[in-house]
Amino acid sequence: MTGRSGFTADIRTLFAITGKDLRSEARSKAATVATGFFSSVTLVVLAFALGRDSALMTAAAPGVLWVALAFSGVISAAQAYQSDLADGAFEQLLTLPIPRAAVFLGKLLANWLTMTLLGAVLLPIASVLFDAPIGAGVPQLLLTIALGTLGFAIIATFYAALTANLQARESLLPVLMFPVVVPVLLAAVRATDAIVTGADVGLAGDWIQLLAGFDLVYLVVTSAIFHIVVEE
Amino acid sequence: MTSPLPRRPTWLNVLGVVALVALAIGAWLGLRVSPPDVNQGDLIRVMYAHVSVAWVSFLAVGVAAFAGIAFLWTGKRRFDVVSLAASEAALLFGALTIIGGMTYSKPTLNTFWTWDAKLTLTALMVALLAGVFIVRGLIEEPVRRGRVSAVILIVVLASLPLNYLAAEWFRTLHPAKSIDLTGGGVTMDATMLEVLLFNVGAAALMFTWLLIERVRLGLREAELEDRRGRGGEQAEVVRV
Repeated sequence: MTGRSGFTADIRTLFAITGKDLRSEARSKAATVATGFFSSVTLVVLAFALGRDSALMTAAAPGVLWVALAFSGVISAAQAYQSDLADGAFEQLLTLPIPRAAVFLGKLLANWLTMTLLGAVLLPIASVLFDAPIGAGVPQLLLTIALGTLGFAIIATFYAALTANLQARESLLPVLMFPVVVPVLLAAVRATDAIVTGADVGLAGDWIQLLAGFDLVYLVVTSAIFHIVVEE
Repeated sequence: MTSPLPRRPTWLNVLGVVALVALAIGAWLGLRVSPPDVNQGDLIRVMYAHVSVAWVSFLAVGVAAFAGIAFLWTGKRRFDVVSLAASEAALLFGALTIIGGMTYSKPTLNTFWTWDAKLTLTALMVALLAGVFIVRGLIEEPVRRGRVSAVILIVVLASLPLNYLAAEWFRTLHPAKSIDLTGGGVTMDATMLEVLLFNVGAAALMFTWLLIERVRLGLREAELEDRRGRGGEQAEVVRV
Protein backbone atom coordinates (compact mmCIF):
# COMPACT_ATOMS: atom_id res chain seq x y z
CA MET A 1 0.00 0.00 0.00
CA THR A 2 2.16 2.83 -1.26
CA GLY A 3 1.77 5.85 -3.52
CA ARG A 4 -1.55 7.21 -4.72
CA SER A 5 -3.68 4.19 -4.03
CA GLY A 6 -2.20 4.05 -0.51
CA PHE A 7 -3.24 7.62 0.11
CA THR A 8 -6.83 7.08 -0.99
CA ALA A 9 -6.92 3.92 1.11
CA ASP A 10 -5.76 5.94 4.11
CA ILE A 11 -8.49 8.51 3.50
CA ARG A 12 -11.04 5.71 3.34
CA THR A 13 -9.65 4.32 6.61
CA LEU A 14 -10.03 7.75 8.16
CA PHE A 15 -13.67 8.02 7.14
CA ALA A 16 -14.32 4.45 8.26
CA ILE A 17 -13.07 5.33 11.74
CA THR A 18 -15.14 8.52 11.78
CA GLY A 19 -18.16 6.50 10.68
CA LYS A 20 -17.56 3.91 13.39
CA ASP A 21 -17.32 6.54 16.12
CA LEU A 22 -20.39 8.42 14.89
CA ARG A 23 -22.43 5.21 14.54
CA SER A 24 -21.45 4.04 17.99
CA GLU A 25 -22.36 7.47 19.37
CA ALA A 26 -25.68 7.49 17.50
CA ARG A 27 -26.56 4.17 19.15
CA SER A 28 -25.34 4.78 22.70
CA LYS A 29 -25.91 8.57 22.78
CA ALA A 30 -23.59 8.61 25.81
CA ALA A 31 -21.54 11.68 24.83
CA THR A 32 -24.47 13.52 23.27
CA VAL A 33 -26.60 13.27 26.39
CA ALA A 34 -23.68 14.07 28.72
CA THR A 35 -22.37 17.07 26.77
CA GLY A 36 -25.80 18.37 25.83
CA PHE A 37 -27.08 18.50 29.38
CA PHE A 38 -23.76 19.53 30.84
CA SER A 39 -23.35 22.52 28.55
CA SER A 40 -26.97 23.62 29.08
CA VAL A 41 -26.48 23.42 32.83
CA THR A 42 -23.24 25.41 32.49
CA LEU A 43 -25.13 28.13 30.62
CA VAL A 44 -27.81 28.30 33.29
CA VAL A 45 -25.32 28.32 36.17
CA LEU A 46 -23.32 31.11 34.54
CA ALA A 47 -26.55 33.00 33.88
CA PHE A 48 -27.36 32.81 37.59
CA ALA A 49 -23.82 33.83 38.52
CA LEU A 50 -23.81 36.89 36.26
CA GLY A 51 -27.50 37.63 36.00
CA ARG A 52 -27.93 40.73 38.19
CA ASP A 53 -27.41 43.11 35.32
CA SER A 54 -28.76 42.42 31.81
CA ALA A 55 -26.10 44.55 30.09
CA LEU A 56 -23.42 42.49 31.84
CA MET A 57 -25.07 39.27 30.68
CA THR A 58 -25.17 40.42 27.06
CA ALA A 59 -21.52 41.40 27.21
CA ALA A 60 -20.57 38.07 28.76
CA ALA A 61 -22.55 35.95 26.28
CA PRO A 62 -19.67 35.08 23.86
CA GLY A 63 -17.40 34.05 26.72
CA VAL A 64 -20.15 31.99 28.35
CA LEU A 65 -20.89 30.12 25.12
CA TRP A 66 -17.22 29.16 24.74
CA VAL A 67 -16.80 28.14 28.35
CA ALA A 68 -19.73 25.75 27.96
CA LEU A 69 -18.27 24.40 24.72
CA ALA A 70 -14.78 24.03 26.17
CA PHE A 71 -15.96 22.00 29.17
CA SER A 72 -18.18 19.83 26.98
CA GLY A 73 -15.27 19.24 24.60
CA VAL A 74 -13.32 17.55 27.39
CA ILE A 75 -16.19 15.19 28.20
CA SER A 76 -16.81 14.40 24.54
CA ALA A 77 -13.15 13.59 23.79
CA ALA A 78 -12.72 11.39 26.87
CA GLN A 79 -15.92 9.54 25.94
CA ALA A 80 -14.59 8.84 22.43
CA TYR A 81 -11.87 6.59 23.85
CA GLN A 82 -13.82 5.20 26.79
CA SER A 83 -16.09 3.00 24.69
CA ASP A 84 -13.11 1.81 22.64
CA LEU A 85 -10.98 0.95 25.63
CA ALA A 86 -13.74 -0.83 27.53
CA ASP A 87 -13.43 -4.08 25.60
CA GLY A 88 -9.94 -3.77 24.16
CA ALA A 89 -11.23 -2.58 20.81
CA PHE A 90 -8.63 0.17 20.61
CA GLU A 91 -5.71 -2.28 20.90
CA GLN A 92 -7.30 -4.34 18.15
CA LEU A 93 -7.57 -1.24 15.99
CA LEU A 94 -3.88 -0.50 16.51
CA THR A 95 -2.82 -3.97 15.41
CA LEU A 96 -4.25 -3.26 11.94
CA PRO A 97 -1.78 -2.11 9.27
CA ILE A 98 -3.20 1.40 9.05
CA PRO A 99 -1.42 4.68 9.74
CA ARG A 100 -1.84 6.00 13.28
CA ALA A 101 -2.47 9.47 11.86
CA ALA A 102 -5.56 8.09 10.06
CA VAL A 103 -6.86 6.75 13.40
CA PHE A 104 -6.22 10.12 15.03
CA LEU A 105 -7.76 12.18 12.23
CA GLY A 106 -10.73 9.83 12.00
CA LYS A 107 -11.52 10.15 15.69
CA LEU A 108 -10.83 13.87 15.48
CA LEU A 109 -13.32 14.29 12.65
CA ALA A 110 -16.04 12.45 14.57
CA ASN A 111 -15.33 14.48 17.68
CA TRP A 112 -15.30 17.72 15.74
CA LEU A 113 -18.63 17.00 14.03
CA THR A 114 -20.36 16.31 17.34
CA MET A 115 -18.81 19.41 18.90
CA THR A 116 -19.84 21.64 15.99
CA LEU A 117 -23.36 20.27 16.18
CA LEU A 118 -23.42 20.98 19.91
CA GLY A 119 -22.15 24.50 19.25
CA ALA A 120 -24.85 25.11 16.65
CA VAL A 121 -27.49 23.99 19.16
CA LEU A 122 -26.05 26.04 22.03
CA LEU A 123 -25.78 29.20 19.94
CA PRO A 124 -29.51 30.08 19.85
CA ILE A 125 -29.96 28.92 23.47
CA ALA A 126 -27.15 31.20 24.67
CA SER A 127 -28.47 34.01 22.49
CA VAL A 128 -31.90 33.79 24.12
CA LEU A 129 -30.74 33.18 27.70
CA PHE A 130 -28.19 35.98 27.65
CA ASP A 131 -30.25 38.38 25.57
CA ALA A 132 -27.61 38.72 22.87
CA PRO A 133 -29.37 38.94 19.48
CA ILE A 134 -27.36 37.30 16.69
CA GLY A 135 -29.43 38.29 13.64
CA ALA A 136 -27.43 38.53 10.42
CA GLY A 137 -24.17 37.20 11.84
CA VAL A 138 -25.28 33.55 11.87
CA PRO A 139 -23.09 32.25 8.97
CA GLN A 140 -20.01 33.92 10.44
CA LEU A 141 -20.87 32.66 13.90
CA LEU A 142 -21.23 29.11 12.59
CA LEU A 143 -17.84 29.42 10.88
CA THR A 144 -16.32 30.62 14.17
CA ILE A 145 -17.93 27.72 16.02
CA ALA A 146 -16.62 25.24 13.43
CA LEU A 147 -13.06 26.59 13.67
CA GLY A 148 -13.10 27.03 17.45
CA THR A 149 -14.42 23.54 18.13
CA LEU A 150 -11.85 22.18 15.66
CA GLY A 151 -9.08 23.66 17.80
CA PHE A 152 -10.60 22.15 20.97
CA ALA A 153 -11.19 18.81 19.27
CA ILE A 154 -7.58 18.58 18.04
CA ILE A 155 -6.05 19.08 21.46
CA ALA A 156 -8.77 17.13 23.30
CA THR A 157 -8.59 14.10 21.00
CA PHE A 158 -4.79 14.13 21.21
CA TYR A 159 -4.58 14.38 25.00
CA ALA A 160 -7.48 12.00 25.56
CA ALA A 161 -5.47 9.29 23.77
CA LEU A 162 -2.50 10.14 25.94
CA THR A 163 -4.41 9.98 29.21
CA ALA A 164 -6.76 7.12 28.27
CA ASN A 165 -4.72 4.55 30.19
CA LEU A 166 -3.87 6.70 33.19
CA GLN A 167 -5.50 7.04 36.58
CA ALA A 168 -7.50 10.17 37.33
CA ARG A 169 -7.90 10.84 33.61
CA GLU A 170 -11.15 12.76 34.12
CA SER A 171 -9.37 15.50 36.05
CA LEU A 172 -6.07 15.15 34.21
CA LEU A 173 -7.43 15.86 30.74
CA PRO A 174 -8.62 19.44 31.44
CA VAL A 175 -5.41 20.20 33.39
CA LEU A 176 -3.31 19.23 30.38
CA MET A 177 -5.64 20.60 27.76
CA PHE A 178 -6.74 24.05 28.86
CA PRO A 179 -3.35 25.82 28.97
CA VAL A 180 -2.77 24.64 25.39
CA VAL A 181 -6.16 25.76 24.05
CA VAL A 182 -5.94 29.26 25.55
CA PRO A 183 -5.07 30.85 22.16
CA VAL A 184 -7.97 29.05 20.46
CA LEU A 185 -10.37 30.04 23.22
CA LEU A 186 -9.27 33.66 23.08
CA ALA A 187 -9.54 33.96 19.31
CA ALA A 188 -12.94 32.20 19.27
CA VAL A 189 -14.37 34.41 22.03
CA ARG A 190 -13.09 37.59 20.43
CA ALA A 191 -14.39 36.62 16.98
CA THR A 192 -17.81 35.78 18.44
CA ASP A 193 -17.82 39.03 20.37
CA ALA A 194 -16.90 41.04 17.26
CA ILE A 195 -19.69 39.39 15.25
CA VAL A 196 -22.35 39.81 17.95
CA THR A 197 -21.57 43.46 18.67
CA GLY A 198 -21.17 44.02 14.93
CA ALA A 199 -18.94 47.03 15.42
CA ASP A 200 -16.24 46.30 12.86
CA VAL A 201 -16.59 43.86 9.97
CA GLY A 202 -12.84 43.42 9.42
CA LEU A 203 -12.17 42.72 13.09
CA ALA A 204 -14.16 39.48 13.19
CA GLY A 205 -12.46 38.36 9.98
CA ASP A 206 -9.02 38.95 11.49
CA TRP A 207 -9.81 36.89 14.58
CA ILE A 208 -11.28 34.11 12.42
CA GLN A 209 -8.12 34.00 10.30
CA LEU A 210 -6.04 33.84 13.44
CA LEU A 211 -8.20 31.01 14.74
CA ALA A 212 -7.68 29.09 11.50
CA GLY A 213 -3.92 29.64 11.86
CA PHE A 214 -3.90 28.26 15.43
CA ASP A 215 -5.91 25.23 14.26
CA LEU A 216 -3.46 24.57 11.45
CA VAL A 217 -0.39 24.69 13.71
CA TYR A 218 -1.96 22.33 16.28
CA LEU A 219 -3.28 19.99 13.59
CA VAL A 220 0.14 19.60 11.96
CA VAL A 221 2.02 19.11 15.25
CA THR A 222 -0.43 16.62 16.79
CA SER A 223 -0.88 14.56 13.59
CA ALA A 224 2.90 14.29 13.27
CA ILE A 225 3.48 12.96 16.79
CA PHE A 226 0.26 11.05 17.50
CA HIS A 227 1.84 7.71 16.56
CA ILE A 228 4.24 8.08 19.52
CA VAL A 229 1.32 8.45 21.93
CA VAL A 230 -0.40 5.20 21.01
CA GLU A 231 2.75 3.12 20.56
CA GLU A 232 3.00 0.52 23.28
CA MET B 1 26.99 -5.93 41.92
CA THR B 2 26.58 -2.25 42.55
CA SER B 3 28.74 -0.02 40.38
CA PRO B 4 30.97 2.33 42.39
CA LEU B 5 29.77 5.89 42.68
CA PRO B 6 31.55 7.83 39.93
CA ARG B 7 34.05 10.30 41.36
CA ARG B 8 32.74 13.81 41.56
CA PRO B 9 34.70 15.75 38.92
CA THR B 10 36.55 18.86 40.07
CA TRP B 11 35.28 20.96 37.17
CA LEU B 12 31.73 20.55 38.44
CA ASN B 13 32.67 22.09 41.79
CA VAL B 14 34.48 24.86 39.93
CA LEU B 15 31.39 25.48 37.79
CA GLY B 16 29.20 25.64 40.90
CA VAL B 17 31.48 28.16 42.61
CA VAL B 18 31.77 30.24 39.42
CA ALA B 19 27.96 30.27 39.03
CA LEU B 20 27.42 31.38 42.63
CA VAL B 21 30.13 34.04 42.41
CA ALA B 22 28.69 35.31 39.10
CA LEU B 23 25.26 35.51 40.72
CA ALA B 24 26.71 37.53 43.62
CA ILE B 25 28.59 39.87 41.26
CA GLY B 26 25.44 40.24 39.17
CA ALA B 27 23.46 41.23 42.26
CA TRP B 28 26.18 43.69 43.29
CA LEU B 29 26.26 45.21 39.79
CA GLY B 30 22.49 45.54 39.78
CA LEU B 31 22.30 47.03 43.29
CA ARG B 32 25.36 49.31 43.32
CA VAL B 33 26.84 49.89 39.85
CA SER B 34 23.71 50.34 37.74
CA PRO B 35 22.38 53.91 37.68
CA PRO B 36 18.79 54.40 38.91
CA ASP B 37 16.17 54.50 36.16
CA VAL B 38 14.74 57.80 34.90
CA ASN B 39 11.17 56.71 35.54
CA GLN B 40 11.37 53.89 38.04
CA GLY B 41 14.30 55.00 40.18
CA ASP B 42 15.80 52.24 42.30
CA LEU B 43 12.97 49.85 41.43
CA ILE B 44 14.73 49.12 38.15
CA ARG B 45 17.19 47.00 40.16
CA VAL B 46 14.52 44.31 40.52
CA MET B 47 14.52 44.08 36.71
CA TYR B 48 18.03 42.57 36.58
CA ALA B 49 17.05 39.57 38.67
CA HIS B 50 13.59 39.27 37.14
CA VAL B 51 14.42 39.51 33.43
CA SER B 52 17.45 37.22 33.61
CA VAL B 53 15.47 34.52 35.42
CA ALA B 54 12.60 34.88 32.91
CA TRP B 55 14.85 34.45 29.89
CA VAL B 56 16.49 31.39 31.39
CA SER B 57 13.11 29.81 32.17
CA PHE B 58 12.26 29.84 28.45
CA LEU B 59 15.73 28.56 27.59
CA ALA B 60 15.10 25.68 30.01
CA VAL B 61 11.79 24.77 28.35
CA GLY B 62 13.59 24.68 25.00
CA VAL B 63 16.30 22.41 26.40
CA ALA B 64 13.65 20.14 27.94
CA ALA B 65 11.71 19.84 24.69
CA PHE B 66 14.76 19.23 22.52
CA ALA B 67 16.14 16.66 24.97
CA GLY B 68 12.70 15.02 24.77
CA ILE B 69 12.90 14.96 20.97
CA ALA B 70 16.40 13.46 21.23
CA PHE B 71 14.97 10.76 23.51
CA LEU B 72 12.22 9.96 20.99
CA TRP B 73 14.83 9.89 18.23
CA THR B 74 17.48 7.74 19.88
CA GLY B 75 15.66 5.99 22.72
CA LYS B 76 18.64 6.67 25.00
CA ARG B 77 17.53 7.02 28.59
CA ARG B 78 19.99 9.81 29.39
CA PHE B 79 18.12 12.23 27.11
CA ASP B 80 14.96 11.64 29.14
CA VAL B 81 16.99 12.36 32.27
CA VAL B 82 18.20 15.65 30.71
CA SER B 83 14.64 16.47 29.68
CA LEU B 84 13.34 15.89 33.21
CA ALA B 85 16.18 17.94 34.72
CA ALA B 86 15.54 20.84 32.34
CA SER B 87 11.76 20.67 32.98
CA GLU B 88 12.36 20.93 36.72
CA ALA B 89 14.72 23.88 36.19
CA ALA B 90 12.12 25.50 33.90
CA LEU B 91 9.47 25.09 36.60
CA LEU B 92 11.80 26.63 39.21
CA PHE B 93 12.83 29.56 37.02
CA GLY B 94 9.24 30.01 35.82
CA ALA B 95 7.94 30.18 39.39
CA LEU B 96 10.71 32.67 40.26
CA THR B 97 9.74 34.74 37.20
CA ILE B 98 6.13 34.93 38.36
CA ILE B 99 7.11 35.83 41.93
CA GLY B 100 9.61 38.40 40.64
CA GLY B 101 7.11 39.84 38.19
CA MET B 102 4.46 40.21 40.88
CA THR B 103 6.80 41.93 43.33
CA TYR B 104 8.01 44.16 40.50
CA SER B 105 4.56 45.19 39.31
CA LYS B 106 3.15 45.97 42.79
CA PRO B 107 5.28 49.11 43.33
CA THR B 108 5.52 50.12 39.64
CA LEU B 109 1.97 49.45 38.48
CA ASN B 110 0.29 49.28 41.90
CA THR B 111 -1.17 45.82 41.35
CA PHE B 112 0.14 42.29 41.77
CA TRP B 113 -1.33 40.97 38.59
CA THR B 114 -1.66 43.00 35.40
CA TRP B 115 -2.36 40.31 32.78
CA ASP B 116 0.82 41.55 31.21
CA ALA B 117 1.60 39.45 28.14
CA LYS B 118 4.92 38.05 29.30
CA LEU B 119 3.78 37.33 32.83
CA THR B 120 0.63 35.61 31.58
CA LEU B 121 2.72 33.56 29.18
CA THR B 122 4.99 32.44 32.01
CA ALA B 123 1.99 31.48 34.14
CA LEU B 124 0.63 29.38 31.28
CA MET B 125 4.06 27.81 30.83
CA VAL B 126 4.19 26.85 34.50
CA ALA B 127 0.71 25.31 34.18
CA LEU B 128 1.84 23.36 31.10
CA LEU B 129 4.95 22.11 32.90
CA ALA B 130 2.87 21.08 35.90
CA GLY B 131 0.96 18.82 33.50
CA VAL B 132 4.21 17.15 32.47
CA PHE B 133 5.07 16.31 36.08
CA ILE B 134 1.59 15.04 36.90
CA VAL B 135 1.68 12.68 33.91
CA ARG B 136 5.24 11.55 34.69
CA GLY B 137 4.12 10.63 38.18
CA LEU B 138 1.34 8.41 36.84
CA ILE B 139 3.38 6.25 34.46
CA GLU B 140 5.49 3.47 35.98
CA GLU B 141 7.19 2.18 32.88
CA PRO B 142 10.30 4.34 32.18
CA VAL B 143 10.34 4.22 28.37
CA ARG B 144 6.63 4.99 28.06
CA ARG B 145 6.99 7.75 30.66
CA GLY B 146 9.84 9.35 28.73
CA ARG B 147 8.00 9.16 25.43
CA VAL B 148 4.76 10.62 26.80
CA SER B 149 6.56 13.44 28.59
CA ALA B 150 8.54 14.22 25.41
CA VAL B 151 5.29 14.36 23.44
CA ILE B 152 3.74 16.77 25.94
CA LEU B 153 6.86 18.93 25.88
CA ILE B 154 6.67 19.13 22.08
CA VAL B 155 3.08 20.36 22.32
CA VAL B 156 4.14 22.80 25.06
CA LEU B 157 6.90 24.16 22.85
CA ALA B 158 4.52 24.50 19.89
CA SER B 159 1.91 26.25 22.01
CA LEU B 160 4.27 28.82 23.57
CA PRO B 161 4.45 31.17 20.53
CA LEU B 162 0.67 30.93 20.11
CA ASN B 163 0.17 31.55 23.81
CA TYR B 164 2.47 34.54 23.53
CA LEU B 165 0.31 35.98 20.75
CA ALA B 166 -2.81 35.26 22.80
CA ALA B 167 -1.37 36.90 25.89
CA GLU B 168 -0.22 39.88 23.85
CA TRP B 169 -3.65 40.38 22.28
CA PHE B 170 -5.64 39.52 25.36
CA ARG B 171 -6.22 43.15 26.26
CA THR B 172 -5.95 44.63 22.79
CA LEU B 173 -8.84 45.25 20.48
CA HIS B 174 -7.25 44.48 17.17
CA PRO B 175 -4.87 41.55 16.64
CA ALA B 176 -3.19 42.43 13.35
CA LYS B 177 -2.21 45.97 14.23
CA SER B 178 -0.35 45.29 17.45
CA ILE B 179 2.42 42.99 16.24
CA ASP B 180 5.66 44.57 17.32
CA LEU B 181 8.80 42.50 17.25
CA THR B 182 11.10 45.38 18.16
CA GLY B 183 10.11 45.19 21.82
CA GLY B 184 8.41 48.56 21.71
CA GLY B 185 11.66 50.37 20.97
CA VAL B 186 12.74 50.65 24.59
CA THR B 187 16.15 52.27 24.73
CA MET B 188 18.47 51.35 27.53
CA ASP B 189 21.50 52.97 29.03
CA ALA B 190 24.70 51.18 27.97
CA THR B 191 25.73 50.41 31.57
CA MET B 192 22.27 49.06 32.35
CA LEU B 193 22.33 46.82 29.29
CA GLU B 194 25.74 45.45 30.28
CA VAL B 195 24.58 44.80 33.83
CA LEU B 196 21.47 43.06 32.50
CA LEU B 197 23.48 40.88 30.12
CA PHE B 198 25.88 39.96 32.94
CA ASN B 199 22.91 38.92 35.08
CA VAL B 200 21.47 36.87 32.23
CA GLY B 201 24.85 35.15 31.89
CA ALA B 202 24.95 34.46 35.63
CA ALA B 203 21.43 33.00 35.59
CA ALA B 204 22.35 30.84 32.59
CA LEU B 205 25.45 29.57 34.44
CA MET B 206 23.29 28.80 37.45
CA PHE B 207 20.90 26.88 35.20
CA THR B 208 23.75 24.94 33.61
CA TRP B 209 25.15 23.99 37.00
CA LEU B 210 21.77 22.90 38.40
CA LEU B 211 21.07 21.00 35.19
CA ILE B 212 24.31 19.03 35.34
CA GLU B 213 23.85 18.22 39.04
CA ARG B 214 20.27 17.09 38.42
CA VAL B 215 21.29 14.99 35.41
CA ARG B 216 23.95 13.21 37.49
CA LEU B 217 21.37 12.51 40.15
CA GLY B 218 18.82 11.48 37.53
CA LEU B 219 21.20 8.96 35.98
CA ARG B 220 21.66 7.31 39.39
CA GLU B 221 17.88 7.29 39.87
CA ALA B 222 17.41 5.68 36.47
CA GLU B 223 19.99 3.03 37.33
CA LEU B 224 18.27 2.29 40.63
CA GLU B 225 14.88 2.12 38.93
CA ASP B 226 16.23 -0.34 36.35
CA ARG B 227 17.63 -2.57 39.10
CA ARG B 228 14.44 -2.49 41.14
CA GLY B 229 12.55 -3.40 37.99
CA ARG B 230 14.81 -6.34 37.20
CA GLY B 231 16.02 -7.61 40.57
CA GLY B 232 13.08 -6.96 42.88
CA GLU B 233 14.25 -7.27 46.48
CA GLN B 234 17.87 -7.60 45.40
CA ALA B 235 18.03 -3.88 44.96
CA GLU B 236 16.79 -3.29 48.48
CA VAL B 237 19.87 -5.02 49.88
CA VAL B 238 22.39 -2.80 48.12
CA ARG B 239 21.36 0.19 50.18
CA VAL B 240 24.49 1.95 51.34
